[in-house]
Amino acid sequence: MKINLFCAVVTGRMVALASRLSGHGGSSLPGLVAGKIYHRCLHDLAGQVRKGIIMVTGTNGKTTTTNMIAGILEKARFKVVANYEGANMASGVTTSFIMKAGLSGKIDCDYAIIEVDEASVPGVMKELNPEIVVITNFFRDQLDRYWEIEKVVGVIRDALNKYGYANLVLNADDPLVAQFGRITRLPATFYGIGRHGQSTATSTRTREAKRCPFCGAALVYDFFHYGQLGNYRCAECSFKRPEPGLVAMDATVTDKINCRMVYNGDEAQLAIQTTGIYNLYNALAAFATGLQLGIDAAVILSGLNRYRPVTGRMENFDYRGKPVFLILVKNPTGFNEGLSALFFNQRKKDVFIAINDNDADGKDVSWLWDVDFEILGNGQQFFNSFLCTGKRGEEMAVRLKYAGVPQDKIAVDPDMPSAVKKILDGPGKQSYFFSTYTALRQVHGILEALIAGGNKK
Amino acid sequence: MIKICHLYPDLLNLYGDRGNVIAFQQRCRWRNIPVEVHEVSIGEALYFEQYDFVFLGGGSDREQNLIAADLMRWREELKDAVEKGLVLLAICGGYQLLGKYYLTRAGENMPGLDILDFHTRAGDRRLVGNVAIETSLGGEPVRLTGFENHSGQTYLGNIRPLGKVLSGKGNNGKDGREGVLYKNVFGSYLHGPLLPKNARLTDHLISLVLKRKGRQDTLKPLDNTFEDRACAVMLRRMGLL
Repeated sequence: MKINLFCAVVTGRMVALASRLSGHGGSSLPGLVAGKIYHRCLHDLAGQVRKGIIMVTGTNGKTTTTNMIAGILEKARFKVVANYEGANMASGVTTSFIMKAGLSGKIDCDYAIIEVDEASVPGVMKELNPEIVVITNFFRDQLDRYWEIEKVVGVIRDALNKYGYANLVLNADDPLVAQFGRITRLPATFYGIGRHGQSTATSTRTREAKRCPFCGAALVYDFFHYGQLGNYRCAECSFKRPEPGLVAMDATVTDKINCRMVYNGDEAQLAIQTTGIYNLYNALAAFATGLQLGIDAAVILSGLNRYRPVTGRMENFDYRGKPVFLILVKNPTGFNEGLSALFFNQRKKDVFIAINDNDADGKDVSWLWDVDFEILGNGQQFFNSFLCTGKRGEEMAVRLKYAGVPQDKIAVDPDMPSAVKKILDGPGKQSYFFSTYTALRQVHGILEALIAGGNKK
Repeated sequence: MIKICHLYPDLLNLYGDRGNVIAFQQRCRWRNIPVEVHEVSIGEALYFEQYDFVFLGGGSDREQNLIAADLMRWREELKDAVEKGLVLLAICGGYQLLGKYYLTRAGENMPGLDILDFHTRAGDRRLVGNVAIETSLGGEPVRLTGFENHSGQTYLGNIRPLGKVLSGKGNNGKDGREGVLYKNVFGSYLHGPLLPKNARLTDHLISLVLKRKGRQDTLKPLDNTFEDRACAVMLRRMGLL
């Protein structure tokens, strides 16, 4: 037994216990403290993983993809360590291992599946050697922290080329991700979505990557799924969407997802209990990872069928028969996808939006102006009211007003519990709750308490 | 008809700066002033005399360089239009572009459009955070709030700033000045975006445009409750209210 690892793990556990007792759910602090006590803590813990480490990075969909892969591996009867809670900086990853370790620092696990924040990829890769690296997509996210997408791409590329022996699992439909097949020396497999009923000829205004990453010429698209994701080719050079080894065909996305998965000359029908085309991408990433690990397709499918959304990933509740949804929003693309859910049916909705500007939310709230709230201004028959809250609730109200939502439908209530209650009890047939990261836990707590109370009566 | 020119919207689209165009446009519409937006991008012809209000945003370094080269073709026309009173708002990278040059950290001198008397030097650390400044619009003091995020440090020559810094860093973090104001040209580092919640500045720009078109009527007042509250939240947080 290594004495320094033992000290780090024990202290980390004590910190976790203390912060839980004091009511803080902080999931990165134990790892942070343990790493200070013994700097190779993460390396030593991760080194005990028997079969392999899978790392998931990218802007959106990390948590869902991680959970889906963990579900598949558990279905295949493997022992798994995962950072389910979205604590994805180096310290949060360390915490996940500490919580799985015995006090001696021993870990009994076949696979570790961890989501890693884009900027933390170099730090984490230095400590553990992933066998598979999944990259979901790249969108504009918290620019005050990460600046520009090209820099994020460069940081991950350099880390992969420096430390990596991994197999890449890449989203073929995102040119920013697909380019990793060329800019790294690592073997890659690709997944993508074929044209379907909701594919469009144009995309929303805030599309990234309008130009070829290799020659700078314009990218030409046959169709878009959302953002810059679609079937593209460079107008000048040979860069184009790579032929994906796994494709979702004939996708239908309503309040659930159905499609035909085509791979290696085989095919299977997929049905999952969550909504949004972005969740189909997450399922594809998990499916491709499962195939890469040699897991039987039937096992993968039944693992995915069991998937249920976690906190804020389009989580749904029932409040006295009224459908209620909670959606975490972090960046324009995710918010746009969340807004599109408001148009799945014609029923009137009450909408709650909590915007904070703490470090983890992004201190600059200008990203709200890259979200296409204008679709709300054009679809007013679907909405009763919008209630804005959080540290920057006022800013959100301004955004809605300029998007064309009538001023009398917009209100600001800085008191979170009262705001949640108003929307839950609103006259609409459905309630939608959007929240940035640091408000999510609070909103979730208030919602659960009110729903439990309301459904008892 | 007020004609807005949104320059390079497909490339200079960082930090939600398109909100400035949305705000200008909406505040015209709410007053029944006809308005239309023309988007002009790389390689297209630019005729500044056709436009009443021009907006130039900021972009990432690579895009900024593409634009500098493209805009340089119209340098004489733009300078002429500015001298004749064109109403122009330039934010962050777009603001820097109007100056004489940008000196990179490697010591490379990137020429600007040299329309206004200032220059920018790459700094050691990025200036990031909430900002409040005080400016004067139509002779009245007005406080503006926003968010800055720039590594370039701008030094003004013989030209006045848009305002003085009340909280935050401003042009360079040293001399207490923020932005630039020359004739009807407004340059600033403030994102947020700048115009939506600083409604008085937006209305000031609309008034300037109408005045140039020979209309002297005062603007119909609008309900600015949300805008004022959004500004007040930030002023209070910075200890200014």
